[in-house]
Amino acid sequence: MNELATRLAARYGARGWHDQRADLATIVLDADRLRDALAYLRDQEGYRHLSFATAIDNIERGVFTLVYTLRSHDKGHSLIVHADIDRQKPVVDSIHLLWAQAWTYQREMKEWYGIDFPGSPRVDEEFVLEGWEGPPMMRRDFDSLAYSDATYAERPGRATSDPARHMKEQLYPEAAE
Amino acid sequence: MDIKDFIAPFAVWKRAFEKPFTVKKPIDERPGAPRYRGFHINDAERCVGCGTCEAICMNKAIDLVPVEGREAKEGDSGLRPRVDYGRCCWCALCVDICPSGSLNMSNEYLWIDSDPDVFRYTPGVDKKPWDGAELGYRRAEGYRLLDEQRVPMAELGHREAVKSFLELVQGYSRAQAEKEADRCVSCGLCIASCPAHMDIPGYIKAVREGDLDTGLRLLYETNPFPEACGRICTHLCEGACSIGTGGDPVAIRWLKRYIADQVELSAYAKALPRAEPSVGKKVAVVGAGPGGLSAAYYLALLGYEVKVYEKDGEAGGMLRYGIPEYRLPYPALDKDIGYIESLGVTIKRGVAIGKDLSLSDLRRDYHAVYLSTGLPVAYGLEVPGDKHPRVLDGVAVLAAATRGEELGLGKRVAVIGGGNVAMDAARTALRHGAAVDILYRRREEDMPADADEIREAKAEGARLIEKSIPVEVKDAAGALAGKAALFVWNEAEMVQKEEGKRPVPEAIPGALREELYDSIIAAIGQGPDLSYVTEEDGVPMKRFKPLVDARGMASPGASPKGGAIFAGGDLVNDRKDAISAIADGHRAALSIDRHLSGKGA
Repeated sequence: MNELATRLAARYGARGWHDQRADLATIVLDADRLRDALAYLRDQEGYRHLSFATAIDNIERGVFTLVYTLRSHDKGHSLIVHADIDRQKPVVDSIHLLWAQAWTYQREMKEWYGIDFPGSPRVDEEFVLEGWEGPPMMRRDFDSLAYSDATYAERPGRATSDPARHMKEQLYPEAAE
Repeated sequence: MDIKDFIAPFAVWKRAFEKPFTVKKPIDERPGAPRYRGFHINDAERCVGCGTCEAICMNKAIDLVPVEGREAKEGDSGLRPRVDYGRCCWCALCVDICPSGSLNMSNEYLWIDSDPDVFRYTPGVDKKPWDGAELGYRRAEGYRLLDEQRVPMAELGHREAVKSFLELVQGYSRAQAEKEADRCVSCGLCIASCPAHMDIPGYIKAVREGDLDTGLRLLYETNPFPEACGRICTHLCEGACSIGTGGDPVAIRWLKRYIADQVELSAYAKALPRAEPSVGKKVAVVGAGPGGLSAAYYLALLGYEVKVYEKDGEAGGMLRYGIPEYRLPYPALDKDIGYIESLGVTIKRGVAIGKDLSLSDLRRDYHAVYLSTGLPVAYGLEVPGDKHPRVLDGVAVLAAATRGEELGLGKRVAVIGGGNVAMDAARTALRHGAAVDILYRRREEDMPADADEIREAKAEGARLIEKSIPVEVKDAAGALAGKAALFVWNEAEMVQKEEGKRPVPEAIPGALREELYDSIIAAIGQGPDLSYVTEEDGVPMKRFKPLVDARGMASPGASPKGGAIFAGGDLVNDRKDAISAIADGHRAALSIDRHLSGKGA
């Protein structure tokens, strides 16, 4: 596998090859080399199957990390390709022309993270969140409580107790304030 | 056409009797995956109602609610979490954080009802079909959001420890204290268990945030002995700590010590409240132990002129004369007392009430008197020969050690008793180079001493002889007569006499043992010395204890006869520890203020 790492490094500046398991490795790329590198992996290295694509909100580093899992059935090996994009400008090349099913993943990422894939079919349509008007909800700065408070009515009949105060009332109500 | 094209259709027949890969419709059962995050389950017996699940919930989906038939008790608020599924996003953080591990999720996710209000229930209390589900989300093995282990405390090794009276416990550094403080979830279950109801989550938060002035102020709100209690408190709080349900309880006592150790005495005044302007009234306190001085501190803050009468040469009571300096070094105690004195409290050292002054003198000269004279008189062994000169009293031995006197215990020492005084006497004797036997009439697990004390006494080399009933002290023969004594005891067995009561030791007939000792230290309990209280003081007594009301008042008093009498501490309460005496002192101060100012009387 290290030969593949070397070739990817030479051609696309890939780095950080890491063997997760015998049949699974990860590698890191720059986002602007992504489409070329994925095409190369598909056509020249036998990783013909896109099995999964998603994103991770690495808010601490100010990036979304795109994650593409490719599979070579000939080698019985999977390769996960990571690429960071700026969280402030979340736009990346669409790969729906490499793998037709990629548009589905991309539509999902658009809805959940707000990552845009220009040219990807139906990328702006709702995916699972029908009628959703809030910010992309898988972003880690999405405040689900603030959203719920703003969007839904408070359910009547809810009340909570503070353990320390409750115990004081029950066990030593005579204690001076 | 190839022959294969004819054969191929028939080849599939070989699969005709295998299990089909297709799914039969309609699908009746739709089980969740084994670790699916479905509806919550809670082991209501294991849950302690700490509310950490509520605190971590991102969507405020959890409320802590009272549950019928479940009362608050030590270490359990009696509350249980109720989940609102209109808010729950199934993230399972509540399961991941739960200190006791009682809260989990079933893999059940199907529940259909036309009434939206049913989707809010208290798991483990409101019965559900998925209660006790084997499958569902559990915290993964080894995955903990909370640190199960407390930050280790540096202590002297036992071998080193017995060579001197150096303090054993060395205290936390800032980094260690902040890390330990980080383990606290601020549930507050500990507050009820503390006799003084200290704001424990508050001062731990102050440690976490590095704001030690706030920490000190919170300590002094309920306890003016943080240096002492930070070392020797019986720390009932730690027994109630919710973190202790799934690991080591938070080291609350060491964190208290850390705050007090870090702030210089000269910087206390800046952090702590000033005394109110003088109210022009005087209160006398009898006994300068932790209870008496606590009362003095809070009375001084309220603007009273307070004078404390102490029969011994130094203030501190049992903290000074009972607890050896390897557990509580004198400079630490002096710091606590020094701050109280800096508020204008006068301590009259070496003045015994009943001898130098009478209680009626105090009642005449003061508006109120607080009695906090503790339990200074050791019980005797009450066996033949117990007046032998080598039979010593544990409290007296410890006091002599404090005064720096030559103890002359000899090489072989027996300590009779199983309480903290016995352990302290044994460990003091060890430090004077003696070989020590601790004889106790019941078993080790029945000993009233703190488990740590017993463990350390043994580790330092004391030999524990359990189930030994004292029978007699005989003078040694020959040249040793009067200089050593034979201690005779009867081996016992534990007998369950009454159902539900603790077993009692019963002497095994004929199983007498004896051993020669240079000193026999009796530490089997102490009683009060109330000889200074006379009939005309009007203090009601019951079983040699002043009888007090809920305010701590023993005798209302009336002019011109004299001021009211309040009492507290070991003299009155059953817990007989420093923190309870401190709590009594605080309560008495507030009661005296109410009584004298006419507020809420």
